[in-house]
Amino acid sequence: MTRLLLRMNVLSTLTLALSLLAPALVSAGQPASQAEAPALRAGTCSVQGLMDQIRRGLNSKSQAYKLYLRTLLRESAVNLPLSELQAAFDREYDPVMAEHLAAALVARTERDLEPEAMQAVAQRALADRDPAIRAASIRALRRTGALERSGDLFERLVRDPSPEVRKEAATNLVEDNLNVYGGRHGPAADAAVAAAMASSDPKVTAQVLGNLMTGEISSESVRKLQQLLGSASAEVRAAATTALGGVPAAEMASARESLLSMYRGERDSEVRKAILASIARLGFSSAVPELQRLRGIDPSLAPEIDSWIRVLNMNLQEWSLILREKQRLQQAR
Amino acid sequence: MRTAPSSHSDSSAKTSTGRPSWLARVAALSGATILLGGAAMIACGLADEEQSPETHPAAAPGAPAAADPHQKASTTGHTGQGGPAQAEEKPPRFARTLCWEELERFNETVTLETFREWAAPLMAVKDPIVLDYLKGRLSELIGNDQGRALEVLEWSREASPAEFKLLMAGLRGSQALVLPKVAAQLTSLGLDERMDLGRRAGFLDELQRMPQLEPAALERLAQFAKDPASGEAGWVTTRAIGRVMKEDFERTGNAKPYLDKLFAIATETPDEPVRYLALEMGMHADAPLDAAATEKLAKILATEGSEDVRQVAAHDLSLAQDKARALQIYAQAFAAEKDLCVRWALFRFAARAAGKDALPVMADMAMTDPRFQGNYHDISRLYASGVVDFDRIWFGLPSQDPHGCLDRHE
Repeated sequence: MTRLLLRMNVLSTLTLALSLLAPALVSAGQPASQAEAPALRAGTCSVQGLMDQIRRGLNSKSQAYKLYLRTLLRESAVNLPLSELQAAFDREYDPVMAEHLAAALVARTERDLEPEAMQAVAQRALADRDPAIRAASIRALRRTGALERSGDLFERLVRDPSPEVRKEAATNLVEDNLNVYGGRHGPAADAAVAAAMASSDPKVTAQVLGNLMTGEISSESVRKLQQLLGSASAEVRAAATTALGGVPAAEMASARESLLSMYRGERDSEVRKAILASIARLGFSSAVPELQRLRGIDPSLAPEIDSWIRVLNMNLQEWSLILREKQRLQQAR
Repeated sequence: MRTAPSSHSDSSAKTSTGRPSWLARVAALSGATILLGGAAMIACGLADEEQSPETHPAAAPGAPAAADPHQKASTTGHTGQGGPAQAEEKPPRFARTLCWEELERFNETVTLETFREWAAPLMAVKDPIVLDYLKGRLSELIGNDQGRALEVLEWSREASPAEFKLLMAGLRGSQALVLPKVAAQLTSLGLDERMDLGRRAGFLDELQRMPQLEPAALERLAQFAKDPASGEAGWVTTRAIGRVMKEDFERTGNAKPYLDKLFAIATETPDEPVRYLALEMGMHADAPLDAAATEKLAKILATEGSEDVRQVAAHDLSLAQDKARALQIYAQAFAAEKDLCVRWALFRFAARAAGKDALPVMADMAMTDPRFQGNYHDISRLYASGVVDFDRIWFGLPSQDPHGCLDRHE
């Protein structure tokens, strides 16, 4: 036992001595290797080479390098063989890698090469067995023209059994409408309303409708929004209310009527607040008498109505300016 | 039908203000490009053109398509669409990308100390994807470290134009950019008369990302912007003041110190593009205008010689808190105005100032100048239909350019 302890002591002393020496040895060699610049040589990109590089790069701590690899694959996609890209995508089961390859395929369609590249991604978003791969495919379709090219894809995606997948689809609908179409393209907004209506997940419907510019939607979409005012979910009623606040001029009177008649029967305070905001948005200063009439219905919301009246009386002519002043009043309270 | 992304306020500014062509051209240039100055920009453009045969190897005359692996790849990629023969006839549509051997090792082992030396060969090739990577990697190497940021600023004093652009982009992406000493050094370098104006513009352009400008710095910058000798650097500085104002206003609700300086620039500099920009940046934050600012705009509308600057002043006036006074100024300015496009600005921005309360003033304007009778009928019809906000009025008009003002400068 004593010999064993002695041997361990000797060993630990040796280990300690080596470990103390080691940094010195490493640092003695470091300047030479650090000073040696990498032999950077430009070559032709290939699917396999890029995939290997990306797979290794996933472990990098540098976000800049990861972004570089993603951009490089996407920009190279138009010059790579479609069949190889497609095959690599089909056999890829790592969601991160699959998203890179899906983005590359989508880039080909976006740059007016074959439409089937994007369709392959849409197909996997719908039908892959792994929800993480379906979600990754949806992310690859984000901020592209997928909404216009894919028929009822999003109405189907928002009914996916996985909440993660449904949420990604809702995010695409919101971001595509805002960032690809500038919020002013009727068909894209109508597609979002149709998908929101098709979903039975209140969170998805609320996420889409609560963040959608509805200034160009069709009368049919307005009717759908009005129908959703009767939803059992308060979240959905509030989001549909917000969406109705921005409808085209021809639909403003009808939207205003729906919201005014809803206010009295509504029990949820957040939905009521959303109704007040949309009435303000649809009427600006002309909404003041209506808001005053609503004041007695729910005394707890009287301060909210008062601050709307105060802001609307400033006679500002753009909703963003009104909203900003309202937020300022709230912060000051 | 897809459109470029735009913020609400941007879309309002873009769609309802006629923008002179010189401004559109200047605005299209990034700060870093402006830094290089005209000659350097031309040189850069030439360099890109010279490089294009390399980036499109198969496009070089006489180059055998099959000898190029990229061309082969493209051909394979098109077989499903029309067969190899058809694909081979097509010239390459897309620029070739480059895959760099050893970039992975570069990424893992580069330090701030080795960055310049190691990045030099990559920069020389002008591969845009790798250049973006270098900017991002430099930002990571600087991080939130004030000392490192100041060291990069030190390098940038003598760097070549291309390297200067990279160094500034790296600094811009780092968290250290907004540290007080870094901001102070940027201001100091930007106002250092020993350096050339192009480089100074590059430093000053970075100030636009600051959360606020201290009163002393704001004063110095405004003085510099007003000086006609500042040239493009003055223009860049004016833009920086306006952008910081927006940021600061959103946080504090106070735009006054910046607005005062922008209006001072707009009235005191003889440089027309800078006067225009100062007023355009004035509306950048959509901050409400007090009585003093409103009266300054009244004076600008009455005395400014440039039609373009008067148009942008008309836009600014629409945010006056005193709507009645704004309408009075619009009416007076319209009566005295001879230029059709300035009149159109006064006419439509009266509606942005006061909504349907502006209709009587607009009716008078249409009486004075019958060319506006159609516009008056369109706008009054929209208000009568229940439309209440200026955005919907504007986009509800049959044309956003009924008097041909948007491209009259082209």
